[in-house]
Amino acid sequence: MSSAAPTRPRHSSDTRLRKRYAAERRFRFAGLFAVGLSALFLAFLLFDMSWKGLSGFTQYQAAVPIDFPRSDLILDPAALKGGDANDVVAGADLEGVLVKAAVATYGADADELFGTGAIRSLGRQLIRDPELLGRSATLWLPVGSKIDVAAKRDSDAASEKLVEQLQSKHALKRTINKDFLVESDATDPSAVGIWGALKGTFLTILVTIVLAFPVGVLAAVYLEEFATRNRWTDAIEVSINNLAAVPSIIFGLLGLAVFLNVMHLPRSAPLVGGLTLALMTMPVIVIAGRNALTSVPPSIRDAALGVGASKMQVVFHHVLPLALPGILTGTIIGMARALGETAPLLMIGMRAFIAAPPSGITDSATVLPVQIFLWSDEVNRGFVEKTSAAIIVLLLFMLVMNGLAIYLRNRFEQRW
Amino acid sequence: MKEKMPISSTTAVPTPSAAIAADAHRQGPSTTEDPVPSGDEIVPDIHSALPAADPTDKVELDSARTPKMRAHEVSVFYGDKQALKDVSINIHDDRVTAFIGPSGCGKSTFLRTLNRMNDTIPTARVTGHIELDGEDINSSGMDVVQLRARVGMVFQKPNPFPKSIFENVAYGPRIHGLGNSKAELEHIVEKSLKRAGLWDEVKDRLSESGISLSGGQQQRLCIARAIAVDPEVILMDEPCSALDPIATAKIEELIHELRGRYAIAIVTHNMQQAARVSQRTAFFHLGELIEYGKTSEIFTNPTQRRTQDYITGRYG
Repeated sequence: MSSAAPTRPRHSSDTRLRKRYAAERRFRFAGLFAVGLSALFLAFLLFDMSWKGLSGFTQYQAAVPIDFPRSDLILDPAALKGGDANDVVAGADLEGVLVKAAVATYGADADELFGTGAIRSLGRQLIRDPELLGRSATLWLPVGSKIDVAAKRDSDAASEKLVEQLQSKHALKRTINKDFLVESDATDPSAVGIWGALKGTFLTILVTIVLAFPVGVLAAVYLEEFATRNRWTDAIEVSINNLAAVPSIIFGLLGLAVFLNVMHLPRSAPLVGGLTLALMTMPVIVIAGRNALTSVPPSIRDAALGVGASKMQVVFHHVLPLALPGILTGTIIGMARALGETAPLLMIGMRAFIAAPPSGITDSATVLPVQIFLWSDEVNRGFVEKTSAAIIVLLLFMLVMNGLAIYLRNRFEQRW
Repeated sequence: MKEKMPISSTTAVPTPSAAIAADAHRQGPSTTEDPVPSGDEIVPDIHSALPAADPTDKVELDSARTPKMRAHEVSVFYGDKQALKDVSINIHDDRVTAFIGPSGCGKSTFLRTLNRMNDTIPTARVTGHIELDGEDINSSGMDVVQLRARVGMVFQKPNPFPKSIFENVAYGPRIHGLGNSKAELEHIVEKSLKRAGLWDEVKDRLSESGISLSGGQQQRLCIARAIAVDPEVILMDEPCSALDPIATAKIEELIHELRGRYAIAIVTHNMQQAARVSQRTAFFHLGELIEYGKTSEIFTNPTQRRTQDYITGRYG
């Protein structure tokens, strides 16, 4: 006790140290728990989706012998070689032929063995080989949705029995559903495809990015680098920050009111969808762009000004290239949000049933999230796997787009 | 590239490494000092009777009688706060002028008014009169971009562009249209890098990033970049404060070599550095110019008490 300096009791410092380590451990466990929980959710989502969705990319086909000369089909093989072959096939009663052939081969219960997909497939095979009409042949055709579901999972007793019968005769096989990737929406789940929605999404996002990216970046550059700080720019800044938080359905209503009712642009077209999504995405890009521009070190601006660069040269030669990775990150976030957006597009009529892929940005179209929404609403059990399959396509589309953006960002990234 | 192009008049200035420290204290033959502008009470008029002290006085006899830049009663305000109070200084063509003083005394602020870099600070306001070759730099006829090309600047922290070494130097000439062909640009880049004493170190890696150089090399690259646009005045804002002593010595040597070709004004915290590199020294304190005169006089025989206190290390 002779020393004037206060000596800390050894045991108390040990306790404090233990407490500190314990707190650290608790925090680490909490973090691990959070990460584990989110990983679990993600794994569940991915597993559930692939479980239900991957079968949507396959399709059962059944073999059926058709004796064309003796069928009721009235078709001229010569007409099938012309340019209007599709119309000729569409006019013929292919369905009747199929039902008759199926019933003749597999019994009376087999009248629903084939659906729209089989009719389309038969038509295609006839156009490819018109000589079929002169003989009898055994053709592999996609089965109807009910039988498809029965073959993949469980279904009603009649369908199950038919499947068993087909399997025992080796008249049933599983194939890759190429139609799903090249066809559009249909009422029969065995005939639906994702291509129409995929193309609609692509066109819509194209319109969005072409409008939102340059306008958003230029607005950010102007507000951050050129605008003088006053009440007006403050008001604009607050408005932009608020716009980024506006629910998307409001943008849909705005698009409906302005683009459809006032400007009379075509309904449910990618052009209008893109315009609406561009309105929604722009604030996000402006905010991200301004943050990226602010984070460029002022010494670079000084350096460029110091050698006599004008304000514009400073911005476009030095500041903007350095801010580009950050701007691109913001754009990715905005685009990902736009890509998954459903509500505003419903408002401008993109929920219509559209059975043909759009040929341009003014054609009627639908987009992937809306297609998923529409299919999830269907009663037919065949749509369940199609919905999941469409979700997989949407996520892959997103993955490709984000991958591209990240690649671009890394290419432009410069260190200083 | 270097074989193809003969370089004219690049490193003709004799290397004065031995002279660095001795320069400030050398006494020369007497000539009259340049006249202090009338109405300038703050600049202490102490030198007119004293013997002149630097080797540039011989040049002064036939040229440079009028100062390159003349600042008259310059005040700078940041918002309501006055950062600089009625400062009047002349900067001469062939001399190095050092600004010393404690932190926050306004020396960097004053330096930045000379090429209107304070314009970029929205709250900054400059009053007073600054001339470059008799032209008012704040007049409407003076283009600020052209002014900054004529009055170059080197900053405290080396700030090369995150581009190649070649692009760093070529950027200025390119935007000012000095090098129209690739060969001309290459010539300018080589000349500037040679003047900045960096050529031998980087000639084989001109396409590498300027960021990959060491701190001292980066600062010399920044000097080369400033030289490349052929300025008349070079302002240096504590160019060595982020560098080690060896890199600092190289920069100081470089300043010696550049003297005579450009008017140089340098802000420094390091009083030995001011004594080594400059012929004129201005001492700032709390936004005021306390004393301005020949470096040798300021360091050996200051007239103001505050100058003496600062130089001898009593505060600052």
